[in-house]
Amino acid sequence: MKHRILALVLAGMLTAAATACGSTNGKTSKNADAKPTVAYKDMQVGETATDLKADLKILTNRTDLVDSDFQDYISEFNAMYPNITITYEGITDYDTDATTRLSSGDWGDICCIPTTVDKSELSNYFEKIGDYGDFKDTYEFADKQMFNNEVYGIPTMGNVSGVVYNKAVFEKAGITELPTDPETFLADLKLIQEKTDAIPLYTNYAAGWTLTAWDAYISGGATGDADFKNNKLVHSKDPFAKHDDMTGPFAVYDTLYEAVKQGLTEEDPTTTDWEGCKAQINEGNIGCMVLGSWAVPQMQAGGPNADDIAYMPFPISVDGKQYASASADYCYGVNVNSTSEEKTAAMLYIKWLTESSGFAKTQGGIPIVKGDAYPDSLESFQSITLVTDNPAPAGEEDLFGKINNDSEISLDSDSTHVASIIEAAIGGNQTMEEIADEWNAAWTSAQEKNGVTPE
Amino acid sequence: MDMAAHHTEVGLSKRKRQLKWSNVNVQKVVVTLTFLFVPLFLLVLFTYLPFFKMVQFSFYDMKYIGARKFVGLQNYVDVFTRDDCFNALKLSLYYMVGSVVQLALALLFATILSFNPKGGNFFRGALYFPSLVCGIAVGFIFKYFYTHGFVLDSILGLLGIPEDMLPFWLKDIRINNWVLVASSIWRYMGQNMVLFIGAIASVDKTQYEAAAIDGANAWHRFRYIILPSIRTIVVLNMILAISGSLSVFEIPYVITDGGFGTSTYFVLMDKLAHANQKVGLASAMAVVLLVLILLVSAVQKLAEKKLDSGIRTSKRRARK
Repeated sequence: MKHRILALVLAGMLTAAATACGSTNGKTSKNADAKPTVAYKDMQVGETATDLKADLKILTNRTDLVDSDFQDYISEFNAMYPNITITYEGITDYDTDATTRLSSGDWGDICCIPTTVDKSELSNYFEKIGDYGDFKDTYEFADKQMFNNEVYGIPTMGNVSGVVYNKAVFEKAGITELPTDPETFLADLKLIQEKTDAIPLYTNYAAGWTLTAWDAYISGGATGDADFKNNKLVHSKDPFAKHDDMTGPFAVYDTLYEAVKQGLTEEDPTTTDWEGCKAQINEGNIGCMVLGSWAVPQMQAGGPNADDIAYMPFPISVDGKQYASASADYCYGVNVNSTSEEKTAAMLYIKWLTESSGFAKTQGGIPIVKGDAYPDSLESFQSITLVTDNPAPAGEEDLFGKINNDSEISLDSDSTHVASIIEAAIGGNQTMEEIADEWNAAWTSAQEKNGVTPE
Repeated sequence: MDMAAHHTEVGLSKRKRQLKWSNVNVQKVVVTLTFLFVPLFLLVLFTYLPFFKMVQFSFYDMKYIGARKFVGLQNYVDVFTRDDCFNALKLSLYYMVGSVVQLALALLFATILSFNPKGGNFFRGALYFPSLVCGIAVGFIFKYFYTHGFVLDSILGLLGIPEDMLPFWLKDIRINNWVLVASSIWRYMGQNMVLFIGAIASVDKTQYEAAAIDGANAWHRFRYIILPSIRTIVVLNMILAISGSLSVFEIPYVITDGGFGTSTYFVLMDKLAHANQKVGLASAMAVVLLVLILLVSAVQKLAEKKLDSGIRTSKRRARK
């Protein structure tokens, strides 16, 4: 008898526990039908629904701005919408942690859409903001989070991919002309090492996520081809193989490999310090770092020498011409599970952030609204052709993401593959060619798994 | 209402209730169940349910978000055919060697501290202290401890070893795993030690006196009195240490993030599950590891039983 009762209680608890945690699922969203009261494109921030009442929670990757700039944005926005309360939550390891949070369905109202979300999944998690046609002529990069011509995310800003460097250090080393190919770049790094006390190139190995910056250079910047990333990379055979003219992905990664191998980076990458590097480059203890244009304002703010920090294109030339990738940073997405009021409020705030906050310019990025002024730090890019990746053709929106995950190389989202270059260059156990061979093999089998015949 | 009828009704139900409640066994069951409910509910919710879910996930090709696809045993096949999974398990050998050192040190300190040396309480606290610090914090402490030119190098510098002769503790693949094992020993040794001290306290003190009269020295005392008396606890700690070294996570995750050949099985599992979104594969890895740990413990228990019966027969023989 006792055993039977015990068994019953246990079974009861199992079901209780099961129902307690198994009920939230992105697909059974409770408010999927709740639409914002006004469409995004028709919203007039400051005039539309100023008495709207809502509580918004925003997940952001910019942990550095949560207590500063974002608070200013909130108070400016609240001057127009006093009944909308906004709270930010910063997440450091953004892509990984935010993906886990997304799967619970109940994470907040606005987030930066993690790069791990497949395009075909967008509508299960995010509210449609508009059709591509609504944004094509007014916004840059509106196609970044788009599926079937439906836009699910508005970019926070655009990034140019280049190299952030300390002008004073370069001058001290006697470098008068910025390098335009990997060989000259490495020679310049050597000059810095010989003539100054600065670390020529700082890898930021330990922080991890900083290394994914390298992936931003392999497409437009290294090929000058807007179709490379979403089209050619996905379909071509052995995309990581070496090209004789030193262009393409191999040239980018090989620059890192050689720099580490020749001792032109910090002595001990395992103990690099992301927050500390801002002051170090500002004070001239670091020559340069390979990071997106978003890094420039942070390095300028790292110390007293803001004027020394400058930005240059990645030193690769295709047929004698330099290109730089321009691409959208994270995009704001609105939770599909939020209520109609919350969705309206969220879109109003996103529209204000995009069009009136000046976020992109302060953060050294390309403004999203076409025609807005570029920040000063992008001066040296005026002679450079900016390449924006074309979207994948219809029906293949997911393909890059799937192959990327299945190959476990995880371009843009995980740093392990870039870290392995640094490790191999230090340990001397693999050449860059061997690493590229491994990646090509993984890429090929991932292509085959997803029904792509590499050409 | 008829007063009398009402009265009898109340009396009846009261008697019924009394009948029920007076039964001690029924009371016992109810009280036991009530007390059990909360811990069991939590156990089911946070241990068994996630575990069953994980086993379920291991049969799917899935990401955290998006559709799942049933793939049968494919994930398990992958775990056994990929070369990185079992290479990662090889790293456990470092930690197993470390756990032997750790238990030896714990036994040494426990024995010394059991004989009430001067400042014994202070040392007991100091040695136990690392177990109280959270694993992530330990990771960060050691990250700076091992940074080139920081704590460890400065200490060695004071001893007269010049800095350029010292290796890069975390970067050099010949030593970095040993370096991580050392931090792991620092962290977990105190816990073993406290358990050993408790076990040694239960040893009958008169045995030492008797042994001393027979001319036993400190080593004899340890070898022939203490060690046999606390064998069960030693074996238990060994099982825990070995299964612990199969599932090392915090220390390599925080200090090196698995870089430079320090990626243990758990760190790899975390990378596959979160960075590469291969949830099914990572779940299968976890199940395989569970089976491995069960096997290892079973083998150890078996060896222990063999040892036990061996001792018993030899004792019997000695008595004869």
